[in-house]
Amino acid sequence: MSLVQNNKEIIYRPNTINELEQIINSTKEKLTFVAGATDLMVQQDKWKSANNLVDLKSVKEISEKIEARTDGVLIGAAVPMSDLMVDATIKEKFLILVDACRQIGSVQIQNRATLGGNIANASPAGDSLPVLNVVNADIWIGPQNNGEFEKLKVDQLMTGPGETRLNNNCYISYIFIPFPKQENLFWYFRKVGQRQALAISKLSLAVLGWKNGKKIEEIRISAGSVSPIVRRASKTEEILNARILDKELIEKARKSIEEEVTPITDIRSNAEYRKRICGELLREALYNQLSFIERQ
Amino acid sequence: MKIKMTINGKQIELNISSKERLLDILRENLGLIGTKESCGKGECGACTVLLDGRRVNSCLIPALQLEGSNVVTVEGLEKWKSFKSIERAYIENGAVQCGFCISGFVMSTAALLNECSPPVCLDEIKQALGGNLCRCTGYTKILQAVQELTNQKEIIQQIQEDWRDEFGSK
Repeated sequence: MSLVQNNKEIIYRPNTINELEQIINSTKEKLTFVAGATDLMVQQDKWKSANNLVDLKSVKEISEKIEARTDGVLIGAAVPMSDLMVDATIKEKFLILVDACRQIGSVQIQNRATLGGNIANASPAGDSLPVLNVVNADIWIGPQNNGEFEKLKVDQLMTGPGETRLNNNCYISYIFIPFPKQENLFWYFRKVGQRQALAISKLSLAVLGWKNGKKIEEIRISAGSVSPIVRRASKTEEILNARILDKELIEKARKSIEEEVTPITDIRSNAEYRKRICGELLREALYNQLSFIERQ
Repeated sequence: MKIKMTINGKQIELNISSKERLLDILRENLGLIGTKESCGKGECGACTVLLDGRRVNSCLIPALQLEGSNVVTVEGLEKWKSFKSIERAYIENGAVQCGFCISGFVMSTAALLNECSPPVCLDEIKQALGGNLCRCTGYTKILQAVQELTNQKEIIQQIQEDWRDEFGSK
């Protein structure tokens, strides 16, 4: 580990999770964890006032590890998105995540930005968050308690725009994504922004589901930038689960999600547009499947 | 803090503030003013450099993460054998107007050429250059220049060779 101290600033660069947790457990100061820094450095006040910085990129267990396990994939919280996008397991099992990462910022951003950062920054517009919701990802949070990380879902970890339960120097170590059943799986991700690259979303929609003939066996839906906390649209999911997919059902689902989301008007878009387009995106996702069924 | 790093092939040691941006280190400490600052928040790509074989916005890289790293700016790229071809394509296609964004575009072009396997479609080029903004050209001529480059196997081979010499093979 390297440690630099000057004036009132302390910089920690631990090499292992052990070293990292020793730092956390031995200080009373508020630590600021730095992963890709692509969100942190543009928040000037936060960045300038952070006096105790801990580099997570120096912890290789967190910044380089993508591990295929029997039941899922374990991704280091500080692994850059461009590494995820080319990982064989992730490409095979989670194209939806590859698709979402490709639409974040630009290649320059993807080369630095991380899932852990996207989660900890807790922006309702964080593009990976709806996807992490529908793939049912577990966010692993340290420091460990008896060798165990605490595990939370994105919508449990996030408590509001920019706010999370990561208090008392808690940090994100890994993201675990269980392999979804591949048979009859379908997915959809679409981000709507002013332009394709380098634009913060007006809204986004992620859908993951399973079909059984004409029936939607199970569906998971999560929209970004339409509520303070990025969560699943469970009422709309209920309407679709275990039903035969037809035009009538699609209309019902569209209306439902428009009522379920609670967007605001801000510089990027307005509440009415976001509601309306959220419904339209879900309609597109479902019509894709309907036309697929009808062609069979 | 003291850091040791390589910039454009030269090993250097710096004594700087840990929150200093790579962009400022390049421009203010080292006089490498080919790298430009425009937005300063990762939205325009004018400050794009190659860091350990990846292109990044140098305005979003803090000094504290630079220990042991290898950075190539447009001044370093200029010494690559393949640079002349990129330069020529930009000039011949009239892809440069005010020029402020161009060093960033050239870095992204080099990265695209290193990663691509021809034939390269226009969408792929647009995706690769999506992180660079130009307010003069309307992009058409820049895209033309880059497309011309991606059609030439020898240039791609040369870039890949230069890239390996600089960053090693991964």
